Amino acid sequence: MRRSSLLAESLAIVCKELASELRQRVALSAIGLFAITTLIAVAYQIGPYSLAENDRPFLLSALLWIILFFASMAGLARVFVKEEDAHTAKTLRLAARPHAVLLGKLVFNLLLLLALEVVVVPLYCGLMGLRIEGVLGLVLVMLAGGATLSISATFVAALIARASGSNTLFPILALPLLLPLLVAAIAGTRAAVGSPELGAVLPALRAISSLGGVTMVTALLLFPVVWRD
Amino acid sequence: MGVVIREVIVLNAGVVTVRFDGVTKRFGRQRVLAGVGGEVRPGHLLVVAGPNGSGKSTLLNILAGLLRPSYGEVRYLDGDVPLPRDDWYPRLGMAAPDMAPYEELSALANLRLFARLRGCYNGDGPLGTLLEELGLAAAHHDRLIAAFSSGMRQRVKLAQATLHLPEVLLLDEPSANLDADGHLRLGTLVERLKPTTAIAVATNDPREIAWGDAKIELAG
Repeated sequence: MRRSSLLAESLAIVCKELASELRQRVALSAIGLFAITTLIAVAYQIGPYSLAENDRPFLLSALLWIILFFASMAGLARVFVKEEDAHTAKTLRLAARPHAVLLGKLVFNLLLLLALEVVVVPLYCGLMGLRIEGVLGLVLVMLAGGATLSISATFVAALIARASGSNTLFPILALPLLLPLLVAAIAGTRAAVGSPELGAVLPALRAISSLGGVTMVTALLLFPVVWRD
Repeated sequence: MGVVIREVIVLNAGVVTVRFDGVTKRFGRQRVLAGVGGEVRPGHLLVVAGPNGSGKSTLLNILAGLLRPSYGEVRYLDGDVPLPRDDWYPRLGMAAPDMAPYEELSALANLRLFARLRGCYNGDGPLGTLLEELGLAAAHHDRLIAAFSSGMRQRVKLAQATLHLPEVLLLDEPSANLDADGHLRLGTLVERLKPTTAIAVATNDPREIAWGDAKIELAG
C-alpha cells in the first residue's frame, strides 16, 4: 500500500483548486465583483472629505473590513458545497486524507483572500484618502485577519456542505465565529491607522491569533468526522 | 506444527479480504438492507444484483466505509489481521454513478490529481497508457471532461478507480454508458486485476453477472 505525505496531498488539492478556479473563475468573479462594486459605492457616497477628522480612523477601518468580509464570503463559502454539487466529493473522500482536504481548501481560500486584500486595501486607502501611520502594523493585521477569516470560513463551509439549504445556513453558523474576529480586526486596523508603533496593534493581533488558533484546532479535530460520516 | 501455522500466516499476509455480516441499513423507517453477509476476496469476484432500489449501491457504500450500517459489521482483513477504518481508503478503488470526475479538468489532469493523492504518480506515461487501455484515445487525454460523452466519462472514472492498483475494488454499474468495445475493455481489466484484487460489482447486466464467482441477490 503506497501513501503520499499529508503535505503532498494538501499541495495536490491546492493545485487542483487553483486550476479549477483559473478555468471557471466562479469565486474570483463573485469576490471581485462584490469588492469593486462596494468600494466604488462607498468612495462615491462618502469620499475622502465627508467624514469628521476624529471619526475617520474608526469609520474607515470598519468600512474596509465590511467590504473585505462580505466580498470574501461571496467566494469562500462555496469551497465544499461545489464538491457536493458536482458529485466529486465522494471520490475526493476516498482518495485523500480529511486533513489534507481541509488544509488544501484552507490554503486556497487564504490565497484568494490575500489576493483580495492586495487589490482592495491600497485602492481603498487611495480612494478614501486614508493615511496609514503604521504600515507594518496594518500588514500584520491584514495577514492575521485574512488567515483567521479563511480558517473560519473554510471550517463553516465544511460543516454546511452536506446539509440541505446550505447557502442559508452559512451566515447563521459563521456569525458567532466571525463577529469577534471582525471586532478585533477593526480595532487593529484603527490602531495601525493612528499610530506608527507596532505595540498599538499587538492587543488586536493577540485576539485575532487566539481566535484563529482555537478555530484551527477545533477544525482539525472535528473535520474528519464531518467529512467522512 | 508451529512452522505450518507460521507459513499460513505469511502466505495470507498482504491479501486483503472484506468480510461483512448481518449488514442492515435503515433510512428513517425505510429498511433498505436486512442482514446481508458475504465475503469479497482476490480471485473470487462477488456480484451484487437486485432490482432498482434494492440496496445494491447502499451495500457498496457500506463496504467502502462511506456509510455506516444500522446493524452488522464490515471488516477489512489483511491476512487475518483486521484493519482500522483509516487504512481502508488507501487500499480501495471505487467507481459509481454518483462519483464524477472534475469537469473543469482534462482526463489526464484528473488522473494526475488522484495519482498524486494516492502517492503513485510516476509521470503521465502510465496514466495515458491506462486511459488507452480503457479505450480513450490519446487525442482526448488533454480535453476537458466537460466536453466528454457519458461513455468517455465512465472510462475516466474506471481509470481513476484502478490507477493505484487497489487491493479492494468496488464497481457500481461499471459498464453504464459504455459501448460494446468499452464493455470488452472493462472485462479485460477486471480479469487482469481479479487474481490480486478483491472485487465486488453491483449490477443487473447479465454480461457482468457472468463475471461473478459468487452472487448476492437483494430483494426489492
